[in-house]
Amino acid sequence: MTPVQKQTMHTDVLILGGGIAGLQSAVELSRMGLDSVVVERAPFPGGHVAHFACKATDRCQRCGACVLEDILQHVKSSSAVRVQVRTDVERIDRSAHGFSVSVFQRPLRIIPDICSECGKCEEVCPMPGALIRSPLDQALSIDESRCSFFRDRSCKACSEVCPEGAVDLHTGGEEIDLTARATIVAAGFKPFDASEKARFGHGIVPGVVTSLELDAVLRDGAGTCWPNGKEPRSIAFIQCVGSRDAAIGRNYCSRVCCANALRMAKLLKNRIQGLEVTLFYMDLQNFDRDYDKRIKEAEQEVALVRSIPAEIRKGQDRPVEIIYHGRNEERVTQAVDLVVLSIGMSPPSIDFLQGLVVGSEGFVGEEGQGVHTNMDGVFVAGAARGPKSIEESLADAVRAAGEASSYLRKDIGGGSQ
Amino acid sequence: MKRRIPESVFLGREPLSKDHMNKVLVLGGDRLGREVTKRLEREGYDVILAEDSAECCEPREPGRAPVSMLSRVRGFVGGFTASFATPDGDRTERVGYVIAAQPARVSARHSRYGLTRTDRTPSLSDFEALLKTPERLPVRRQEWLHVAFLLGLEQESNPVVFSRVLWCIENLCSIRNTQPYVFTRHIKVAGAGLEERYRNCREKGALFFKFDGSGPVVVEEQDGPRLQFVEPMLGMEMELIPDLLIVDEDLEPPELTPLLEAVPTAILSEPFLQPDSPRFPGVETPKAGILAVGPARGVFDPDVVASDIESVVAALKKDRYWLDKAAPEVDPSKCTLCLTCIRLCPHGAITFRDAAEIDPDSCVRCGICAAECPMQAITFSSAEDVNIIEMIRDGVACMNTSPTIVAFLCSRSGAQAHEAWGHSLSPAFLTIVVRCAGTVDLSHILAAFRHGADAVLVGGCFRGNCASVYGNVLGEQRVEHARQYLTQAGIDASLVKFVSLAGNTPLRLLESLEELYAACRARG
Repeated sequence: MTPVQKQTMHTDVLILGGGIAGLQSAVELSRMGLDSVVVERAPFPGGHVAHFACKATDRCQRCGACVLEDILQHVKSSSAVRVQVRTDVERIDRSAHGFSVSVFQRPLRIIPDICSECGKCEEVCPMPGALIRSPLDQALSIDESRCSFFRDRSCKACSEVCPEGAVDLHTGGEEIDLTARATIVAAGFKPFDASEKARFGHGIVPGVVTSLELDAVLRDGAGTCWPNGKEPRSIAFIQCVGSRDAAIGRNYCSRVCCANALRMAKLLKNRIQGLEVTLFYMDLQNFDRDYDKRIKEAEQEVALVRSIPAEIRKGQDRPVEIIYHGRNEERVTQAVDLVVLSIGMSPPSIDFLQGLVVGSEGFVGEEGQGVHTNMDGVFVAGAARGPKSIEESLADAVRAAGEASSYLRKDIGGGSQ
Repeated sequence: MKRRIPESVFLGREPLSKDHMNKVLVLGGDRLGREVTKRLEREGYDVILAEDSAECCEPREPGRAPVSMLSRVRGFVGGFTASFATPDGDRTERVGYVIAAQPARVSARHSRYGLTRTDRTPSLSDFEALLKTPERLPVRRQEWLHVAFLLGLEQESNPVVFSRVLWCIENLCSIRNTQPYVFTRHIKVAGAGLEERYRNCREKGALFFKFDGSGPVVVEEQDGPRLQFVEPMLGMEMELIPDLLIVDEDLEPPELTPLLEAVPTAILSEPFLQPDSPRFPGVETPKAGILAVGPARGVFDPDVVASDIESVVAALKKDRYWLDKAAPEVDPSKCTLCLTCIRLCPHGAITFRDAAEIDPDSCVRCGICAAECPMQAITFSSAEDVNIIEMIRDGVACMNTSPTIVAFLCSRSGAQAHEAWGHSLSPAFLTIVVRCAGTVDLSHILAAFRHGADAVLVGGCFRGNCASVYGNVLGEQRVEHARQYLTQAGIDASLVKFVSLAGNTPLRLLESLEELYAACRARG
């Protein structure tokens, strides 16, 4: 392999995370005349929102996922924003001028400027999931953890078949030494791992999916998650999976799951004639400006069961069986075609920023501090500081960018005196 | 609410002037208004803070403008004329921006429960005040003080009000021998720290009854209120005679009438200034220079309100440079002052003197005016807009495919969807990116057919998602118009269609195009 290359870079603001909060922060900073480098681990920007489906029926349901495409357009047209994908932060140190950061960019493997996205590599690749397409523009990349070349060099079919020679299996990565004057942590959230709640059967019972999985499937349009490949006639949503659950240390509401499940229910009922939807929940949380109306509508459209199931298992006639306690503590079994677990948001892991204080729930920052952190010059935006909707994350990004810009101006003012 | 015609904008004949870009009018003398003012002053803006809320409860800062009611706003960003009624008579101010930062209107929900506001049945605000002086709590009839809260039973509550109820319970728990009860439907824990506080209150002994169907029946009797209910968990009939019955409150946006009149699309969104759309996620309204903060846009969560203040700063700075392309131009020799453009502009960007005149800072370049002008007096001068018709002619001519399909795609939805999956499209499609579906007019659609296209698709945003509020609806109407036209001309109308799209619905675009393609092929 070609040796690792080295590069140095300077920027005003380092943004950790290329989801909507990070990207929107970058766009806002560029409007204030500040440049930024956005560091993203995944092969493409957009974070979780890049996998969200549009929830519109015949009209928009205001989920806000489409806003990402707008933000990306701004990012592309701005010379002040640089997005580093496939990049990991190795260390952040304080320096005289702010922060000295070492990051490592894993090689792109499929060179976007050369690749014509013809898909010949996908046809020959023997390893499922090794070639991945960006949900945003279908750009191809290689997941090294699944590719057999990176395991034992046994296959380089894609590189041999590529008519453009866009596949590059041999380049080493690039180490980048970056200096930044301020940092915005926009690391988003980690989806709750549904296997932690084994009784809900995710990964065991076919026909149990997470809300994120359903979103991704609907975005791509394929019906792959339908059990037996058949369109479901009945769907159950299980709320608060990994939220409002003190027993597993998640003593908070994830704030977006009720909205998401009810919008999803509306969308699916619109697409599938006669679909029956049941929602297992504790309390319905508000969404939209007209929340009273939204919740009353939901009560009409969806069968609401105020109970979190005891067990989800493989069914007899229908693919899935849900066992729960009814109003009078009686045991009820409900058979459905598909179960959607509304998984909550867990805090992101940020181990490269020594000394950054997290709150009791593990999210960055402390209550009442807004987008400020305990560290001077380090700000936090979006779901990294607690569960947030798309809209709230965008608002947060504007706020963090504003605070960072004020901080930098103070910095300059202080220096000149 | 009475029906209004937002005449102050349309018939204002306000000259376009930009000499007040640095001057900002902030409405709302409460804490929020003062915070917005402080923040903007730090940015170097010259701020007039007008206390126009009659419900303003906090003491006024000395030296501020006296309480004055905004009566009218007219003009455009950078040069609004705001008229006030003050105790000393009317006055006007010239300002560049107007920011609605009034506090929420708080009203107790007694009437929803058939109750009257008394010492035994106070509102949540009354009770909060009472708790600050606990010696004024009523003499208890028995050894225990029973305090019941009615919360979100008839109409949903929200996390801000729930947080206040928790504060009351937390305080009650520090008073010996008190028993709090909460009667509600859905516990609103979607706010920072609320779940934990809710859990703590329960652990300290507060009882929460969550009803699915009908809640408690409240009877007001001589000796005070009496609650009769079926305990939701046990299904048992129960009765409670609380010493105090606390009634929750509605949080509503402030009174915004003069501003609603100044934002032309507000007629579709009142009592709010903004359409309920993801295209307006922050403080901006469709009318440049008029901004809504916190309660004025239905946001009550203090954390989001804090973000709103920063968004105001960003929005004020943004207006000056975000528009990279030239605004459309009016040819005064063609304009007959029919006012069609003024009536239809969702951004209130057009005024008139001898001819219609477009304010380039208010205009978002959606092209609705140009498409609607019956005299073709309004045109874009920038290169990519000069001639959609030329693009069609040249594009279709060099395609040589059969069939040939022209797709007009909105830059905010269809074009983005096309970018995601465009590579897999057949060469039979000529895609023309337009700023808004509202730009596509009958002449464009007919030109496509005239130059040899077999079918036309117009892809705009879903209803409720248009950045120009109803540009997509206008686009769809024009497609309908074109279909009628074609039917009369003996052409199959199904070859023209409008499709609602979003940037993240590429497959929907693909399917629609393939359907059209198949329909053309079937016709041979």
